[in-house]
Amino acid sequence: MSVDLSVNITGLTLKNPVMPASGCFGFGREYGEYYSLDRLGAVVVKATTLHPRLGNSTPRVTEVTGGMLNAIGLANPGLDQVLEEELPWLANQNVPVIVNVAGDTVEDYCIVVDQICQSGLAHAIELNVSCPNVERGGLAFGVDPQVLRRLVEAVRPYCTLPLIVKLSPNVSRIQDVAMAAAEGGADALSLINTLVGMQIDLRTRRPVLANRTGGLSGPAIKPVAVRMVYDVAKAVDLPLIGMGGIFTGKDALEFIMAGASAVAVGTANFTDPRACPRIIRELRELMAAEGIKNLEEIRGCAL
Amino acid sequence: MQVKENRQLTKDVYALKLVGDFPYHEVQAGQFVDIKIGAGLEFPLRRPLSIAHCDVKKQELTLIYRVVGGGTTWLRHRDVGDSVDVLGPLGTGFPLPKPQSSVLVVGGGVGIPPLYQLVREFDSSIQPQIILGFRDKFDCFWIEEFAEYGKVTVCTEDGSKGHKGLVTTALGAENKWDYLYSCGPKPMLRALKGHFEGTTIQGYVSLEERMACGIGACSGCTCLTSDGKGTKRVCKDGPVFPWEEVVL
Repeated sequence: MSVDLSVNITGLTLKNPVMPASGCFGFGREYGEYYSLDRLGAVVVKATTLHPRLGNSTPRVTEVTGGMLNAIGLANPGLDQVLEEELPWLANQNVPVIVNVAGDTVEDYCIVVDQICQSGLAHAIELNVSCPNVERGGLAFGVDPQVLRRLVEAVRPYCTLPLIVKLSPNVSRIQDVAMAAAEGGADALSLINTLVGMQIDLRTRRPVLANRTGGLSGPAIKPVAVRMVYDVAKAVDLPLIGMGGIFTGKDALEFIMAGASAVAVGTANFTDPRACPRIIRELRELMAAEGIKNLEEIRGCAL
Repeated sequence: MQVKENRQLTKDVYALKLVGDFPYHEVQAGQFVDIKIGAGLEFPLRRPLSIAHCDVKKQELTLIYRVVGGGTTWLRHRDVGDSVDVLGPLGTGFPLPKPQSSVLVVGGGVGIPPLYQLVREFDSSIQPQIILGFRDKFDCFWIEEFAEYGKVTVCTEDGSKGHKGLVTTALGAENKWDYLYSCGPKPMLRALKGHFEGTTIQGYVSLEERMACGIGACSGCTCLTSDGKGTKRVCKDGPVFPWEEVVL
């Protein structure tokens, strides 16, 4: 049986629903050595800020059972280099590019979104309002519904591309934040970013990460992520990109049944650099085995 | 790849010999491989292990590791014939010294393994002076193996074998070396750099850092450049760096 993996998110057609999660894939060059990036539904690049950022001190990453903690701190080469070197390279890879944007101030977000949209080198913007690892790296915008709505409203006029808002799970009711992003003018939502966690070294008796806390990702968070996608799918009528511990085609299908139109793969890229193409293949095989012709048939079926 | 041997060298240090499909001829001394731990998802991050010996002729790869946690405990229990998922070779290794030059090689603890592959790759005109530092006599391994390639001096922190004290105590006041190659704990690398401050010796150091992707994409394992204005990726730009390039 032939299956159709393509999906449409706010006018953006993707050949399949699988994309890497921002921050786990750099700007694509390294994974491009393992497979052709045009096999992906889209590429989501590392958070880009107005000025270059060196990031936090090391250790920045550590493993926990069934997952990992990271506190990279939005390290990135800054808007100018992203526009001059990274995006032009990606533009030649024949894959839709979603640029993740982070900032310290509303003005920062507006400038970066404006310049990326004007460059003609991106297909969508993902607003990062949920990085838990820097003091002013967005999370402040992502946990208060009113603050978030105002940010999305401010960015909206500058964003001539589909605007995706990436939600933080570090809130008591993610539906409220999702509705605020929708009211502010978001075209789609992606969720979830990492959950704030900590690991302590028994020998040094101190937190392992130099930043003390870090974002938890990987299989450990999948049930939380599926539940949050489910809750948000019930609350708002926007396309959702689901993520959180997706390692297999089955995991991807679970998110789609919970209401996601597309999925993003993060930590799995570290376990297996070819995780994304493998998940696409598994998803196709799974759909064929289950007699699912296209993803619309089952999207949100669990709701 | 398959396990050919998983041999205990000291109380907690093991040598894992792997055979099977691997681009042996691509290996550069100082590079590493990233090992998948376990069959399931309990350990999502691979373990970076430096290449101690890549035998292109016999098609064998030897890795030396210290058992420190759950991942390396899993590795210790691999038996002959078991499959291991190996990604690599990864990273940037040691540039080789010019023939006839005088070379100092200093390793500390489980920082020693990549230096073995290195001394094997030296031109035959080079007789390196090799200093190996361990905690105590029970912690020592591969001294005889290194002795085939140069003059070995052993240091132990408690003096139970060789010189007593850190590797820097085995260095004389003189500096007759063109190159220094080193891998080990950061305080050791810092002490070496300090010792040779103001000399013309060219130092190369291999850094260790907690890694996630291992291929240069995630920015998990960066180090600061000496000017303080930039970062380098230990897994991709390193793990070997000219020591003037990075903050130790």
